[in-house]
Amino acid sequence: MDFKNVTLSELRSLLDEKKIGAEELAKEFFGEIEAKDDKVLSYITVTEEEALAAAKTAQVRIDAGEAAALTGIPLAVKDNICTDGVRTTCASRMLEDFVPPYDATVIEKLKRDNFVMLGKTSMDEFAMGGSTQTSAFKKTKNPYNTDCVPGGSSGGSAAAVSAGLCAAALGSDTGGSIRQPSSFCGVTGLKPTYGRVSRYGLVAFGSSLDQIGPIARNARDCGTILNTICGVDPHDATSRNVPADDFNAKIGAGVKGMKIAIPKEFFGDAVDEEVRNAVMNAAKEYEKMGAQLIDCSISTLKYAVPAYYLISSAEAASNLSRYDGIKYGLRGEGRTFDEMIRDSRNRGFGDEVKRRILLGNYALSSGYYDAYYRKALALKQEVIKEYNEVFEKADVILTPTAPSVAYKIGAQDNDPVKMYTADICTVTVNIAGLPGINTTCGYNADGMPIGMSMIGKRFDEATLIQAADAFEQQFSPVRCTL
Amino acid sequence: MARLYPTIGLEIHAELLTKSKVFCTCSAEFGGEPNSRCCPVCSGFPGTLPVLNHTAVEYIVKAGYTMNCEISRFTKWDRKNYFYPDLPKAYQISQMPRPVCLNGHVDIKTSAGDKRIRINRIHLEEDAGKLVHDDYAKASLADYNRCGIPLIEIVTEPDFHSAEEVCAFIEKIRLLLKYAGVCDCKMEQGSLRCDVNISLAEKDSAELGTRAEIKNLNSVKAIGRAIEYEIYRQSEIIESGGRVIQETRRFSDTTGETTAMRSKEDAHDYRYFPDPDIPPIIFTEEELDAIKASLPEMPEARKERYMSEYGMKEADADTIINDKEICDFFESAVSAYNNPKSILSFMLGEFMRRINLGEMSMETLKVKPEEVARLIEYGDTDKINKNNYKNIFKAMLETGKTPEEICDAENYWVKEDSALLESVIDKLIADNPKPAEQYRSGEQKVFGFFMGQANKALKGQATPNAIREMLEKKLKG
Amino acid sequence: MDIKTLDHLCELSKLNFTEDEQKKILSEMSDIIDLMDTIKEFEISYDDTKDYNEIAYDDLRRDEAASSFETERLQQNTQPRDNCYVVPKMME
Repeated sequence: MDFKNVTLSELRSLLDEKKIGAEELAKEFFGEIEAKDDKVLSYITVTEEEALAAAKTAQVRIDAGEAAALTGIPLAVKDNICTDGVRTTCASRMLEDFVPPYDATVIEKLKRDNFVMLGKTSMDEFAMGGSTQTSAFKKTKNPYNTDCVPGGSSGGSAAAVSAGLCAAALGSDTGGSIRQPSSFCGVTGLKPTYGRVSRYGLVAFGSSLDQIGPIARNARDCGTILNTICGVDPHDATSRNVPADDFNAKIGAGVKGMKIAIPKEFFGDAVDEEVRNAVMNAAKEYEKMGAQLIDCSISTLKYAVPAYYLISSAEAASNLSRYDGIKYGLRGEGRTFDEMIRDSRNRGFGDEVKRRILLGNYALSSGYYDAYYRKALALKQEVIKEYNEVFEKADVILTPTAPSVAYKIGAQDNDPVKMYTADICTVTVNIAGLPGINTTCGYNADGMPIGMSMIGKRFDEATLIQAADAFEQQFSPVRCTL
Repeated sequence: MARLYPTIGLEIHAELLTKSKVFCTCSAEFGGEPNSRCCPVCSGFPGTLPVLNHTAVEYIVKAGYTMNCEISRFTKWDRKNYFYPDLPKAYQISQMPRPVCLNGHVDIKTSAGDKRIRINRIHLEEDAGKLVHDDYAKASLADYNRCGIPLIEIVTEPDFHSAEEVCAFIEKIRLLLKYAGVCDCKMEQGSLRCDVNISLAEKDSAELGTRAEIKNLNSVKAIGRAIEYEIYRQSEIIESGGRVIQETRRFSDTTGETTAMRSKEDAHDYRYFPDPDIPPIIFTEEELDAIKASLPEMPEARKERYMSEYGMKEADADTIINDKEICDFFESAVSAYNNPKSILSFMLGEFMRRINLGEMSMETLKVKPEEVARLIEYGDTDKINKNNYKNIFKAMLETGKTPEEICDAENYWVKEDSALLESVIDKLIADNPKPAEQYRSGEQKVFGFFMGQANKALKGQATPNAIREMLEKKLKG
Repeated sequence: MDIKTLDHLCELSKLNFTEDEQKKILSEMSDIIDLMDTIKEFEISYDDTKDYNEIAYDDLRRDEAASSFETERLQQNTQPRDNCYVVPKMME
């Protein structure tokens, strides 16, 4: 069965109307994975046995008429989200054999609804990157063109959704890692407001920026998943108690009268012309639907990339210090503690991870802390101020997701700076802790997807989903031909 | 050369008496099999997050109030980054620029008079684990049970200039923290640890000398000895023209000397930054007032009250307040029987005697304050002979029975039996004609002998007053 | 970035580089730091009391101990000795 165009709502109906059983559905997906994933390389670990057992349990619930939205639904999970008893590698040699003894909170919530986990998807190592090519295990390919990157760091999840190798997936976003690969792979991805979804069990990268979020075939599916995984968590002190009934509640309300702000700084030369055009066309479509376009400015955008890299690298350098091989992970050799942990880290970490750790420690070190890390925190306060000002007049903000479509594998190797500056469109959203959604707004001449992002007010994911859905209803996506 | 003058500052770590650890729900109990009180959070597993403990924060605020500190209305936690095998996350969550408590003071008494020691700060942090060294295998074994136990770190200004001052201060801190109920201050168990920073300089010098830090001090006595040794060691170096090295040293109880450690803390750049996993805390005035009001009466206040209301002598008051459990016992006894003088007399006497002999401890004491109160009241109202306190109390300790049960069983109640009294005393005088004669001829001292014999013979079944009266009457003939 | 700084950072990060690797990484880090340096143009200071991410003292986790996590499960990713984590000796 080809799932590329099948939504969660459709699968829910199929299951509830007994047109397909949960086990059978899972097996269909495993068939697709077997047939196609050698070309896409989206999964690091496939959990067939566990999935079929979970499907059996889900079926009991479906039969009793007590299915929740995600009961029996086969999802893929990014490999930096801890799953009890299932290895969680973060695509790193450091954690190649690491089996967590506990579930992330989002996994607990999904298990409570009896979801079916198909497997763990590939990613950039420790979520550091925008191409998934730094994965130590599976360098995922873009399903639209397997010579191209799927984006990153949630490239495995985005590619799996795009190629129909799962019903939907979980990713994580620190500087764009859900939205950018969604954009490259032509699917819809949502980064919730910071604090909306618990980070407990998400292997930490940039603690003040990280969020887990859904990647799916449309905005409504993202809302369905967010309904299940959101919520304040006693295990995560940064999660907030902001009740939400249903993130899909505003779907169908249209965008008449909605004020959509267009920040000029996001449409400069750093962004390819074809991308700018596609996004501006989408803006015009919104206008046709009754929305009002407003100009605005985010002047701090020019400092956003350095601020993001300073904050995220500093936090990452500290977060990754625990990887020494003593409690878990790759255990190096050495006659002394110092020798052993250096060996663990040298062999366990890839080049990009090492660069970020060095940069992070540089930004925090004595003599540099004020000029770099503290300055970045000052910029963060300014970014938040600017977005608050824009949201006094606007409901959502519309920007490109990435400066280009998916580029060829290898095109940005040996140029970390180029990779970093490509994050320009996404990082301010993480810095400000706001929710952001990507949906496809067009395709270039080569058929590669172009994504647009919408940024919302804090905890206003419902408006984002409303707006993205309105666009999707009148847009005909072209799925990959894999 | 002018006399070298020591300047000393202290960093004291106290483990808080919370039920759970400071950042996770593991039990904070002492001991246990290695890694039996741990979880993925305190063991530094991937994806785990710290969640601050309400009571730990309450306790550091209490500690701050006992030391007259300012409580920061806005306080936050920072990461102190360094690698060591007892630190599973390779960072310790501590507090840098905005600790909970600042700018306090503690007053101490020494042989030279009263002194005020300034407290620079008190902050809340997590403890590290323990390493056990296996020399044969050239390895260390790490136990994380202690990881995440809440610690408060009390940092003083360098206001001390002698070992005596330091020891007086430590004893005062122990008292304050025990009164506040936040730490059991057992140095031998490690729930209170003290690091000493000491330097020498000429007395009127504007600059401080190079300081050495002494760690691993497990008792007040050790602290005193270590300081004395360091003064000697540094004096020798300076007086012979050398320079003291800034380093960390460890004290040995057996040799009484300090030796240099190759410390994990040598020249570290800790790269402190605010911990993004822990939101800062805001206190309201009401919350802080409530915490302050929940503190029990502090030792100084109790002492003032005892001296003014009960007319207690200062030395006696000091003895009683110096141990919170004894002091609380005293207060409970007084509220059961409002005769503080009598109760004090018993407690400073028989009660303290048994403690000092090691025959009883406040921790294991089963006797209730009300029971002691009743015992003293019986004595005061002549229902029992006060000379029998010792025996009755001993029986209470040994058997756990009430004073009434013991007096019933052993016949300690005073019987107003004048006939018996008279006959016993008649016999006594008849059996001792010579001393009786001595008394009649004016030797008052002999009376004591008769009192003692009479008491023995009557087994305390008459009150001393009654015995005295009868003896006087009979002896005078 | 110079070699001295790199050595210091390697000590803070517990990473080692061979001589060849050092050349490459020095060049990469220099480029990266040039990018980071653009933030120096931004002239505003940070006020840590204005992040507005505080929580109330009263909302903190109440002090209740939960049952212990099984030592065996906790140590399933390593080879403990006497239930302890084995570490090579520190140089003392």
